[in-house]
Amino acid sequence: MSDAATMTTDLAPIVDTLAAAQRARGQLVIRGGGSVLERLPPTDAEVLSTAELTGVIDHRPEDLVITVRAGTPVEELSALLATHGQECPIEPLAGHGSTVGGRLATALAGPRQLQAGRVRDWVLRVRLVTGDGRVVTAGGVTVKDVTGYDLCRLATGSWGTVGVIAEVTLKLRPIPTTSAWFTTDRPASRVLAELYRPAAVVSTDEGLFVRLEEHPDDVVAQAAAVGLVAAVAPTLPTTARAAVDPSRLAELTSWAQAAAIPYAGFVGVGVCLLDGDPDALVAAGARAAELGGRLLVLDAGATTLPMRPPPEDPMSERVRAALDPQQILLDVRRPR
Amino acid sequence: MHPTSGTRPRRDLQPTAAESALLTDLGRVLGEDGLRTSALSRATYRRDASFLNADPLAIALPSTREQLAAVLRACRDHGVPFTPRAAGTGLAGGATPTGVGGVRPLVISVARMDRLLELDAANRRAHVEPGLVNARLGRAAAAHGLRFAPDPASQIAATLGGNVATNAGGIHVLTYGVMSQHVLAVELMDADGVVHLLDGRLPEQAGLDLRGVSVGGEGTLGIVVGAWLRLLPAPQAIGTLLAGFHTLEAAAATVGALVTSDRLPDAVELMDARAIALVEDYAQAGYPTDAAAVLLLEYEGLPAGVSAGVDTAARMAAEHGATQVVRAADAGQRARIWKGRKAVAGAIAKQAPDFFLQDVVVPRSRLGEMLDAVVAIGERENLIILNVVHAGDGNLHPFVLFDRREEGVLDRVFAAGHDIVTTALALDGTVTGEHGVGIEKRDFLSQIYTEDALAVQQAVRTAMEPSGLANPDKVLPTTVGCLEARMVPEGAWV
Repeated sequence: MSDAATMTTDLAPIVDTLAAAQRARGQLVIRGGGSVLERLPPTDAEVLSTAELTGVIDHRPEDLVITVRAGTPVEELSALLATHGQECPIEPLAGHGSTVGGRLATALAGPRQLQAGRVRDWVLRVRLVTGDGRVVTAGGVTVKDVTGYDLCRLATGSWGTVGVIAEVTLKLRPIPTTSAWFTTDRPASRVLAELYRPAAVVSTDEGLFVRLEEHPDDVVAQAAAVGLVAAVAPTLPTTARAAVDPSRLAELTSWAQAAAIPYAGFVGVGVCLLDGDPDALVAAGARAAELGGRLLVLDAGATTLPMRPPPEDPMSERVRAALDPQQILLDVRRPR
Repeated sequence: MHPTSGTRPRRDLQPTAAESALLTDLGRVLGEDGLRTSALSRATYRRDASFLNADPLAIALPSTREQLAAVLRACRDHGVPFTPRAAGTGLAGGATPTGVGGVRPLVISVARMDRLLELDAANRRAHVEPGLVNARLGRAAAAHGLRFAPDPASQIAATLGGNVATNAGGIHVLTYGVMSQHVLAVELMDADGVVHLLDGRLPEQAGLDLRGVSVGGEGTLGIVVGAWLRLLPAPQAIGTLLAGFHTLEAAAATVGALVTSDRLPDAVELMDARAIALVEDYAQAGYPTDAAAVLLLEYEGLPAGVSAGVDTAARMAAEHGATQVVRAADAGQRARIWKGRKAVAGAIAKQAPDFFLQDVVVPRSRLGEMLDAVVAIGERENLIILNVVHAGDGNLHPFVLFDRREEGVLDRVFAAGHDIVTTALALDGTVTGEHGVGIEKRDFLSQIYTEDALAVQQAVRTAMEPSGLANPDKVLPTTVGCLEARMVPEGAWV
């Protein structure tokens, strides 16, 4: 761990901020690029920004891994990797400034997760400053590593509640040789069943969109077999995200269609992005709940919406308490 | 790092009062058929597929969750630790029943809880019990045009509960990822017999990803009593290639070129000359016996991409001086090529009575250096070491062959194993890629993690499993005196 000393110096301001919050018995929310935080109702908590924590620490194209500081914008990372013909298929959220750390912390992903998998599956190592100020690393720079408990996955999707993600090592892959969006009139379920591992299938109020990422001959053959027509990428709503079992998604998109609100359901995944006024979102949340799912509203003005994640189970509470005993780190989805 | 001596199993050990009381309670829960206490049974369950071993108190074989919960509550009430186990194919001593402070643990086998509870083709997932054998899920999924990607070499015996507990790997990790990527939810039973659903079935999680932490927990966080596993569509085309090389370096360099080509192979296995000779003699897989190394490559997916991948691989192998390149013409030839790889352990049994199997990972670009180092270590310790490598992942499995009757050989075996691990660490690698930490690699964690990192690991463990009864003494280095802690307790032998 030859870089431990320099990293710790880098992270001193974060450690200091956490210590100050502990002394003041205050609370902190962690901000990456703001692509999620600015869409949530504001809180009284002090903001701890990772904006200064940017840049590549180590890129090893030959090993298909890269280590970056958490505040690095996803778009910057993608541009750098593209010069090597590589990618990490973690998609930025709409708008600008989505950071690598933010994508990890929220684990919100785009339509390509159908084939590329979830954010958690691309994380090899994290360096984390725990709520009680300990700088720890978990995982390694190799693609396989079962050394100790998987704290990378604990940090991923933790919404900043176990610590500040400071540094991330990601798994990479070659950029697919061909990728293209198509559209079709056929039903989503048939398209999903008939195509072999499409990159994305998105059911929207403007039709069904399919993304293929394959060898060019396979793209042509698949498109012909299913009757796909070339198209531009669908527009994705940004106000709310529902998550249901993949098999229940069609019920949610049918509901959205009937309610005449813009939607984009990730077929085979179970995520449905929605736009709509507060009343529509309340109804969408109720519908998602009926289907065994949940709704996350990303609208700073929607302070009165009752859609919040379910309460924590005791085991999660104990794990959180082990890393942030004074509850300094606020879950922005559950403002107190 | 390893227990190097010990006594034979103690067959005369009398249970303490607490142990007797526990056994009485367990007898009521499990009946005669579900509780084993004889010296023979205890000897059978002394170890997993490693040779680290210890004497258990007894073996509980619950058939249902209710029985398992009652067993765990009895352990809790009598303060007796337990070691979860399924098929026992683990290689790091994770299922070896070491106790703490001289207390023998109860081995709890989940092998009888082996049902496929649901195959949900619409959501492409399966709900399984922990004792279900990996290959059985594969066959069930195939009936729906689906497949279960994790395929450890032991998959005909290894169970899914064990695969979850160890975060198992396999041959197709390069593009499909390790077990954790395929686990959607885990039902974890705690020491009070309460089941916690660590749920990640919905595509966006609401709480902490504790199922991610539980995968690879090696039985120290509780017992996996169920899991929802992701299934994938079966590929439409498969292309398999066998390439022989004059040198290990050329084979390793080909791997490096393939990994940075524009399409990743789905499997890249490397075997060295000793491994080739052994499996050819045993399984007649058609490997070139004059080669210093062979690569087994597989591409899966759609026909054009697979064909282009195989073409690229054949060209790159030739550019790196491959002496022989064979493309599998049909499923039969493909099966024959893989038969050699899967027959390694069986072939070894013909050559030497014992083997010690290592599991280390290095960055793929350091593979050549690591293989050279393994050869040098074998020569220095005067041991036959053969290399079977998940080369695409940089994951080496050196098999150290020996005969335990040879005086002093164990010291050399352990010295070689230790040097292999420290070499991997020096090359920026890690001490285990897929076999787990168990007891074997436990003390290396102090070299990888800082004190703070280990303290956080311990804090997470305690938060998830407060009783301290679940597989104590595994995964994390113990803080008690070093020599005593490293030794497998009384009754150990190797």
